Amino acid sequence: MRRLKNDLILIIAFVAAVFVVFSVFLITRKDGDTVKVKINGVTTAEYKLNQDFTTVIDSYNNGKNTLVIENGRVYIKDADCPDKICENHRPISKSGETIVCLPNRLIIIIERSKGENNPDIVV
Amino acid sequence: MKKVFSFVLAFVIIFGVTGCKSQKKKYTHYTFDYFDTATTIIGFADSQNEFDKVCGKIEAKLDEYHKLYNIYEAYEGINNLHTVNKLFDGQHKEIPVDRKIIDMLLFSKEIYNKTQGNTNIAFGSVLSIWHTHRTHGIKNPDKAELPDYSELKQASLNTNIDDVIIDTKKNTVYLANNNMTLDVGAVAKGYAVEMIAKWMREENISGYILNVGGNVRIVGDRPDREKWTVGIENPNNTENYVELLQLGDSALVTSGAYQRYYTVNGKNYHHIINPQTLMPNESYLSVSVLSDNSALADGLSTALFNLSLAEGKKIVASMDGVEAMWVLPNNKREYSKGFKNYIMDKK
Repeated sequence: MRRLKNDLILIIAFVAAVFVVFSVFLITRKDGDTVKVKINGVTTAEYKLNQDFTTVIDSYNNGKNTLVIENGRVYIKDADCPDKICENHRPISKSGETIVCLPNRLIIIIERSKGENNPDIVV
Repeated sequence: MKKVFSFVLAFVIIFGVTGCKSQKKKYTHYTFDYFDTATTIIGFADSQNEFDKVCGKIEAKLDEYHKLYNIYEAYEGINNLHTVNKLFDGQHKEIPVDRKIIDMLLFSKEIYNKTQGNTNIAFGSVLSIWHTHRTHGIKNPDKAELPDYSELKQASLNTNIDDVIIDTKKNTVYLANNNMTLDVGAVAKGYAVEMIAKWMREENISGYILNVGGNVRIVGDRPDREKWTVGIENPNNTENYVELLQLGDSALVTSGAYQRYYTVNGKNYHHIINPQTLMPNESYLSVSVLSDNSALADGLSTALFNLSLAEGKKIVASMDGVEAMWVLPNNKREYSKGFKNYIMDKK
């Protein structure tokens, strides 16, 4: 009987510990994906992918790129760079995906803290 | 006493199992300073500080290769490829250069032979005409023009790789045709990346990805789950990546028609020029090459872009440990025999 009680305490302690660990994990986990804006390698802004948003980014050498976050997708609506490769890039939505504007030294990247099937890099 | 022991044991098991197996965290660094493209360094390190130190060393090396292999710019105190291409009173001169240039040029000659001349560093005279028109056309879209074909044809007479004279004893390079120039765009980035990867292995730096403008070099396994996941961009620009690959220590290079181009009368002209037609080849949207050598993958991706599918597949099959994927204009894909082994199972 005493042994059963001890086992019970052990099981409860076990469950409690698992609960604590799981809660900590849930609380510290980042809510959704982050859209990072990097100019010449330095992060200048971060936005939530799940919040619609539009902004004009002051890029390298006074360049301008209009960033749009819409329905969980990110794209460059307008840019003053000569090649417009960023503007023509399809909207991105998955972590690891990037939009690069070479002339304005701008990178838009989607990052997620966890996730098994997200690519480390897309080229 | 036993109870206390049980509790301690329980906690040890729980935290031991669910806690971090690897203390290393993933860091990413971006820079635009080398090879006229974007560079990404991804790495697992114990701290930001440790990662920054590794990035600093990698960047120092990238800077050195970037300057040596640069055909557009001269740097004080260095003889680089710009110096080799230069005319002195209308004549090329025998130029003493760093061994890093000699070795890369020797490798380029090897690639030339392996690809039936479809990756040719002696093609500078033709490529520079396209480069000038593309740069001008991007800056002035209304005045964008195609090069004059007779001018291209004339330039193509001065592209014989045997005129690149390399003296491995004296460490000099000499171009034996005054109308020829080198353009190492199809090989230099991949070669530099491979040399840096080699250095990283010697320094026991592992768990990193270098990406220099589409030249991806994976150095070591991903510490927490062995394989890295690499997406290949969809060249059609309409949907997600065409393919997700699971890769260990290896190199993946993608040459795409969508990376560098300009528009003339509503039509896009990209930067990979076919040595026979002297025009951008339109057979593929992109070609990706997997290999354990990033220099080989880089040189091959350009050649495969210019070769027919049958010829390309033949070359790939003849090489050990090389695989390739072609994305056709209708977005259909063709694969070499073993490429599919690296494609991630779709769930």
